[in-house]
Amino acid sequence: MSEAQHGALQLQVKRIEAVTPEINRYTLCAVDGSWLPAFSGGSHLTVLIPVGEETKRNAYSLMSSPYDTSEYQIAVRRVDDGKRGSVAMHSSVREGDVLLAGIPANLFPVSKHARHHLFIAGGVGITPVFAQLEELSLKGSSFELHLAVRGPEHAALGYELKDRYGDRVTLYGHDGQSRLNTLDILAGRPLGTHAYVCGPTRMIDDVVASAHGLGWSDSNIHFERFDDLGSTGDPFSVTLARSGAVIEVSPEQSLLEAVEEAGHTLPYLCRGGACGECETEVLELEGTIDHRDDWLSESDRCTNKLILPCVSRATCTKLVINA
Amino acid sequence: MLITGIKSRPVYDELTPMASGLNHIAAAQGSGGKPLVRLLTAMTPEQLASTTVLYSTESFTGHNFLSELQQFAVRELRVFPGNADAVGGLDTVLAAAEMGTRLYLAGSEGFIGTSMQVATSYGMHRDEVLREHAGSFVRRVWCAHCGHYSENVAHRVFVCPGCELNLIVRDHYSGRLAAFQGVKADSEVPGELPANEELDT
Repeated sequence: MSEAQHGALQLQVKRIEAVTPEINRYTLCAVDGSWLPAFSGGSHLTVLIPVGEETKRNAYSLMSSPYDTSEYQIAVRRVDDGKRGSVAMHSSVREGDVLLAGIPANLFPVSKHARHHLFIAGGVGITPVFAQLEELSLKGSSFELHLAVRGPEHAALGYELKDRYGDRVTLYGHDGQSRLNTLDILAGRPLGTHAYVCGPTRMIDDVVASAHGLGWSDSNIHFERFDDLGSTGDPFSVTLARSGAVIEVSPEQSLLEAVEEAGHTLPYLCRGGACGECETEVLELEGTIDHRDDWLSESDRCTNKLILPCVSRATCTKLVINA
Repeated sequence: MLITGIKSRPVYDELTPMASGLNHIAAAQGSGGKPLVRLLTAMTPEQLASTTVLYSTESFTGHNFLSELQQFAVRELRVFPGNADAVGGLDTVLAAAEMGTRLYLAGSEGFIGTSMQVATSYGMHRDEVLREHAGSFVRRVWCAHCGHYSENVAHRVFVCPGCELNLIVRDHYSGRLAAFQGVKADSEVPGELPANEELDT
């Protein structure tokens, strides 16, 4: 299997397809043709994109099958007024190029206990759903997808899923008139239904508000906001209680990355705040923890006795963790 | 309150109306009627009108709160002669329930545990359920040898009605089985039993 070197995978661009006027799909494989690290439906890949002197770290959902790690597929929407990462992917990257990427991490996994999975997606937000549906389909789980697009020329990915899953996929906007109504979709669902939403912030807020209005509890509502991914913010320092080492976390790195850079190890798995593997006890704190994970419960957050070093940060004068 | 040194024993809640829910199902057995009366008293008229109550009059301690429960203007009150019937009734009610439902359970550990098994089978999550223990702390025990479930076990050592082995009740509760584990008490020297004692009921 391919292994990360200095935390990065070397991926060769095998194929580039334009699937809509704004979205390209990239098929990536290991430079040496070996198997890539496994991932689960909903995972994303952080791609290191050279833009001039800088390196942009953009997260893209893996949309290929989690059951075939001979290649990864990502879809990139060109955002002209963005931070130029997606523009560089569209204008500079060619088939045969080699890109560096992190290990896949999953912040948006499907629930293992759901009786029915209900997906609501908008535009390029469909990408994680590709791999999630593949996973659920092979497991024989019950699911349906509601996908809104801006018009017929933006519907190609939706048609692909419609071909795969038939009536379980409902498209909106591809005909220039039908509109997705979240309240209608969420109402009257049996117990144990889980909703997943990926799309523009407006769509996520709308689904969460509708679900709350219908009395859904948070444990059954899942969403992914790409702008929240990664761990960047103000610098802070942390003390590892066992070795006494004091480690500075820079604005561009996570606590976990800083600890690793200093030559120490912490347990980890997803590196995205979802799995809880890196959960570490907070022994001393003068300040506040900025919890960014999806793992700790609200009551755990309030006690400030635990932290997830892969995503969470702190605003503090002192932080000692049991590591 | 049920406070013991048994780490695996569930931590119980106190029943209070969960305002975020649009529909409410409250199931209780015997002494569990008391917290249920308190819950219904705390509900608004709208919440009462969207609440289905299931009550089993079977009780280890002999307490019956049926006449008090009948005073509330709930959507429906279903009464059952036995706990197993009430758990079956809960299954029927949950099968037709929709997202937005909140579940309240009160009574013995065995009743709460078996009701929770049903709720879990419908995918209900812990943040949609409140559980309050009431009455005796007699245990539901699962025999590790024949799989028989014994209700209302009050002593450390007893004979399993399923396989007639002498069982000792371990201080280990399984949420999945909703029971404490019972294992053969005299496996080392047949016939040599440990001192019997009353469980901390």
